[in-house]
Amino acid sequence: MAGLVTGSLMSLVEDGVLDARLAPSLRIHLDWIQYKTNFRDPVIVRRTASPQGQALPLAEIAVDLRQADAATLQADLARAVRSLGEGAEANADQHIYLDDFRPYRDCLIWRFNRLFWQHLGDWEAASGQGFEAALPGGTSDANHPQAVSDSVADFWTLLRDLDNRGQLPPEIVGLEIGVGNGARAAAWLDRFKALDEQCGTTFYSRMHFLLGDYSPTSLERALEAVAQHGSHASGVPLDALNPFKALASYRFKVMYVHLTNVYDNLPFDDLVRRDGKLYIVEVRAYLNGLKVDQLTAEFGMSRGDLPGAVETLLEGGPYAVFPGEKGVAFWRRLWDTFKLEERLRALDDREEDHVPPGLSRNHLEDLLDEAPDDVRFHVSRGAGESFANTLPLLHPRGFLQVQDIFVSEMDDYRKGFRGPGKLDGSLVTWVNGALLRAVGARAGYDVHFAPFPYRPGTKTSVLYTTQRD
Amino acid sequence: MTPSLPTLPTSVIGSYSMPEWLERAKNEYLSRRLSRRDLDEMHDAVRKAAIKDQEVAGVDIVSDGEAQRDNMIDYFTERMPGVQVDLGSKRFYYDFYDSVVRTKLATGTLGLAEEARFLGTFSGRRSKISLSGPHTLVKRLRNLHYESEEAFALDLGRVLNVEMKELVRAGATELQIDEPYYSGFPEDLPWALKAINAMVEGVDATITLHICYGNRYGKPSFEGSYRYLFPAILDAKIQRVSLEFARRGEEDLQLFKEFNVPFSVAIGVIDVKTQEVESPGFVADRIRRALEVIPAERLVVTPDCGLVRLPEEVAFRKLCAMVEGTRTVRQELGR
Repeated sequence: MAGLVTGSLMSLVEDGVLDARLAPSLRIHLDWIQYKTNFRDPVIVRRTASPQGQALPLAEIAVDLRQADAATLQADLARAVRSLGEGAEANADQHIYLDDFRPYRDCLIWRFNRLFWQHLGDWEAASGQGFEAALPGGTSDANHPQAVSDSVADFWTLLRDLDNRGQLPPEIVGLEIGVGNGARAAAWLDRFKALDEQCGTTFYSRMHFLLGDYSPTSLERALEAVAQHGSHASGVPLDALNPFKALASYRFKVMYVHLTNVYDNLPFDDLVRRDGKLYIVEVRAYLNGLKVDQLTAEFGMSRGDLPGAVETLLEGGPYAVFPGEKGVAFWRRLWDTFKLEERLRALDDREEDHVPPGLSRNHLEDLLDEAPDDVRFHVSRGAGESFANTLPLLHPRGFLQVQDIFVSEMDDYRKGFRGPGKLDGSLVTWVNGALLRAVGARAGYDVHFAPFPYRPGTKTSVLYTTQRD
Repeated sequence: MTPSLPTLPTSVIGSYSMPEWLERAKNEYLSRRLSRRDLDEMHDAVRKAAIKDQEVAGVDIVSDGEAQRDNMIDYFTERMPGVQVDLGSKRFYYDFYDSVVRTKLATGTLGLAEEARFLGTFSGRRSKISLSGPHTLVKRLRNLHYESEEAFALDLGRVLNVEMKELVRAGATELQIDEPYYSGFPEDLPWALKAINAMVEGVDATITLHICYGNRYGKPSFEGSYRYLFPAILDAKIQRVSLEFARRGEEDLQLFKEFNVPFSVAIGVIDVKTQEVESPGFVADRIRRALEVIPAERLVVTPDCGLVRLPEEVAFRKLCAMVEGTRTVRQELGR
């Protein structure tokens, strides 16, 4: 496909569509995007803007090699090249724009994401499968029996060591943030109880396991899953961005915190360095013009109705748009059509909004010093915020484990586009592990990454903390 | 002349807020991109500002804020004759150097007297200088010479005793020994207290022993109860013990009912591990509860530990709340 892109561009030069004098400076990005469905059309143009949002001359064309269709590639590229020229028709594809350009952290995908977790049951009923089946691997690594068993064994060893030193707290507190369907918490507690009995210790009797989630559906399911553990488990409605807020009374008391695939579903920003300058990626949500007519015909709406219907959906849920199954069907079709246009806005020297909680601008600049030139990378601000607001819960000997998809070194961003990807109803993006390492260091923790050894080929890795001496 | 103290004197533990720009400068110094002279000028400016903040807040016993100390270990080991410090072993100032002891420690000054002179020059208030204790240093230094931790600690006590006497000669009247590792190794207490007594032998100053649960990176290193200190601590030849109560709650205050403690008690009423600023009323309540078990003439009011991990604005407001809450109780006592 990469060869086809080059060939098509040469044809565009020969046809006079692309000015040969521009060709050497035209920047083309070829991305292999892990997620087959994502928020990009196969060929997109990214323009640049000043810090104040005024257009700058630099632009680039990005091709998603996985989505691109050989049959239409040349036409798509020609359209992209034409759109760069003076006097190009604005919105030639007749997209329906839903928003202005804004950083990823503030864009509409997060409202869709929240909607998904709030109405998870409705979505699953319509899709006929649980959300875990929609994950790229078709299953969650959270519930792998051997992983759970090893985790329990490690934790039990820690408790035994503390007990031997007379330092075991009266109450042993564990915490799972983002509980899914509760399967992992249930398996973990079952195993913990069994090991405790097997070893003749009394740790289980002192155990209190907290299940934290902001989705009422997930929390309800999870509590059902752990019902047999009675008062040893309880649910806490919490925002993953700030677990400390809901759990302040557990400051420095939680011995074990675990998260699976939570950080990859939290707000982030994308930064891009081009020719030594730093840009923030801003996005504008739109409904793909080529698919909109199908959507409006199917639901008996006009194009003009759509922005209002989207707002109603996001505010009131699917049934506020249409009653019954039709509301959910509309939501699902809309999600298929939903895309993001990107532009690169130059960052002002004094701008700090992109700096994640837990770090200062200076720390972020230190991190950028490690990044290769001409690279695009995440500022995983949601993950950083969540991490920074979870660490104060940890007991001095406690630890935190996160199973997720991490980019553990800044240099690894050179190896490919790391999302976001579009899942069935929600989204996923890789997490900047190097950034979490910096957040951890500021808070007194060393952050390590280890492969997830239980499923060959998985992209999951495990972040774990140790006390920084 | 040493300024007199009111009833319920207020004090800090030692460190004051570390500006982020100074942290960066310290790292630059380690990377040899900043000279020692420039860094020392910055340290002195920050120390003067720290003293001023404490005086404006109304603290009775001030420190210099300890901005010149990278952490509570390296500042001492770098200066201690006989300790080999690998100066290339850290890039971040707050980390610890790799330090090793291969021979018996020599007797020599650490040069802390400069701190006493600095405080005497820039503050008219009573002031305090803290030193890391033998047990803490034993736990951080690699010992390749002494046959036991106890032997090592006792010799450190000997060296630090010389330094304390130097400090007194330079005008220091209040000295503090910091021992945050006791709570993680309560079984060491018998020999750790022997080392304290060696350290304070013949030192003519008011000596405080500060025992907390750690404040590295603004978080505790250990948890538990102060019960392990008793009754062993009653034999320590100190004038004051300083403990943290604000973060941990006041349950352990009951120990002072159970045991007849022969020294005064500095109680932590300010939680240094949160940026939430206590109200003066909250501080006053804490002091009142302490007064139920400790007489006013033997009570000193402090934060739980050093303020180094707090932003300056928060640290200052916490000290103001501490002073105001203390004044409220003083008025109630009619003093």
